[in-house]
Amino acid sequence: MALEAVVRANAGGRLTVVTIAAVPLLFVISGLAIRYAAFASVSEETGFAAYARALCRWDCAWYIGISEQGYERFPIPNHSNVGRWGFFPLYPMLVAAIRSVFPFPTILVATFISIACSYAACLVAWPLLEKNMRAYVLYCAFLLSGPFSFHFSTFLSEPLFVLLTSCVFLALKRSSYLAAGVSSALLSATRLVGVFVVFATVIQMFSEHRRQGASALSFPRWLLGRPDLLVAVLISPAGLFAYILFLYLTVGDGFAFLHIQRAFGRVAGNPLVFLWDGLSVVPKTGWLPTAPQWSALAAITGLALSAVLAVRRQYGAALFCALCIILPLITNLASMVRYVIGLAPLMMLLAMLLSASKLIWLAALVLFLGACYFMTVAWIGGYLALV
Amino acid sequence: MPWSDVPDPYRRAAWLGGYALAAVLAGSEIVILALALNPNVNADYRAFYIDRTTTCLNRDATGSYTLGQTVSFRSDGAKRAASMKVCGWSGSAGDGTHSLGETSRLRVKIPPLRDSLMATLQMAAVIRPPQITQRVVISVNGVRAHAVTLSGKEPRTISFVIPPAALGNVDTLEIAFDYLDGIPPTPAASNIYKRSIKLVSFRLDAI
Repeated sequence: MALEAVVRANAGGRLTVVTIAAVPLLFVISGLAIRYAAFASVSEETGFAAYARALCRWDCAWYIGISEQGYERFPIPNHSNVGRWGFFPLYPMLVAAIRSVFPFPTILVATFISIACSYAACLVAWPLLEKNMRAYVLYCAFLLSGPFSFHFSTFLSEPLFVLLTSCVFLALKRSSYLAAGVSSALLSATRLVGVFVVFATVIQMFSEHRRQGASALSFPRWLLGRPDLLVAVLISPAGLFAYILFLYLTVGDGFAFLHIQRAFGRVAGNPLVFLWDGLSVVPKTGWLPTAPQWSALAAITGLALSAVLAVRRQYGAALFCALCIILPLITNLASMVRYVIGLAPLMMLLAMLLSASKLIWLAALVLFLGACYFMTVAWIGGYLALV
Repeated sequence: MPWSDVPDPYRRAAWLGGYALAAVLAGSEIVILALALNPNVNADYRAFYIDRTTTCLNRDATGSYTLGQTVSFRSDGAKRAASMKVCGWSGSAGDGTHSLGETSRLRVKIPPLRDSLMATLQMAAVIRPPQITQRVVISVNGVRAHAVTLSGKEPRTISFVIPPAALGNVDTLEIAFDYLDGIPPTPAASNIYKRSIKLVSFRLDAI
């Protein structure tokens, strides 16, 4: 009897593992099929290479440039004042490394790696979603077959950013601070805002310290007495510092990634004014919100979801997400939709909320799959809100 | 293995190693931050990217030019004009080369001079009511040469003598256009996108 129970438990465990691996795989396939159908409906070309090229829009071209040619020195060739320094190096480096083994066109290699990263991000999300199968299915559908799945399947930093963010929060959930630190270091080399995840690490350490019954005031002393925790905190921004050093040695300006924003026309301002300005751009015809309205709504929704995370006592994730929205919002609303949907804790929260009711879950799943087609058409067509 | 199960000598070594690694990380980050706060860049880079004192990033462009020749800055003369444009220009388009930002510059190589020079430019103002005029200050090799207020959409021809102080023994002329009334595309837009004039043609004559 006991042996039978063990066998049954093992079989059940194996089935769960297979399901966890199969669900995102199915959405990889369905996502490819839906996006390809969208591509085919607007393009005269056929084939996977043409499809991958069609999805490579906006910043994708910058990442291809970095992956193939690296970063420019100063003066920038071709009399340009717009350099690639604003785009962080880890993902294009990863693509370049894998391309050196598999000599295919960069966009093809990047497309495969992006899908692989998104797939891996789904697997990492399973324990973060409290092993809630409905939420897991919805989250996988969102990343791999959802309305913004093109962001996670072309050469943009989002797939790696989501994967590494999930790795950090999984490590924190397991109190594996060194693993969280190393993941954070990689995250800070993927996008500038990745460095903010160090605050989540410190908050988690503080919570653990408080759980042990210690006072808040004794936290600094406790932290200083734990070299493993100090290393975890100090290694977290290592990716950013490595990039700063690289820029100093090549361009002469370690903050070139910030200063180059001038050439992109980004001007610091009041985030509230940017939000109000965005919301005020009402459509001249029809009822669909304009691109600035979508961007402003995305930022507001992202901040609201961050507040929900805080209410659920996920303070680290809440602070990280809020900072990842507010920092770019200081310059303007550009790319805001992409920045918000690339915040894994928010999208996991959304998946959990939408999974509370079976009916809502089903409706959301159908909506995600259906919207994938139309949003991919809009992305290929260059719709500004999706930039 | 739990931390407490590690034998004492190893634990102490790991403990010290941890502190050493933390110190190396902290030290490296402080040094890198110090380097970043003291950029090692040239004046052009600093002016455009860091201090933001100009919208026109100087670059290594010098066009060849024969005195008495009229260079079109419309689409038909794009190739010839391209080498003269240093920064602060967009185009050429059918109605001329549009200025971009608060300053534009041209740079041309000229033969040795015995006489003075007369510059003749054809320019039109970019207007957007209530802004219906554009004030432009033209300097040559850093010396103020002419100031003009353009109004109306039609191109206007202006001529001025380049001050001798701007010529000296130079073999290059750098002509800077400073715009006092540039129009930003939106109120919140960066000043690098301001529009002021359309340059239609350029000519230098010995006098």
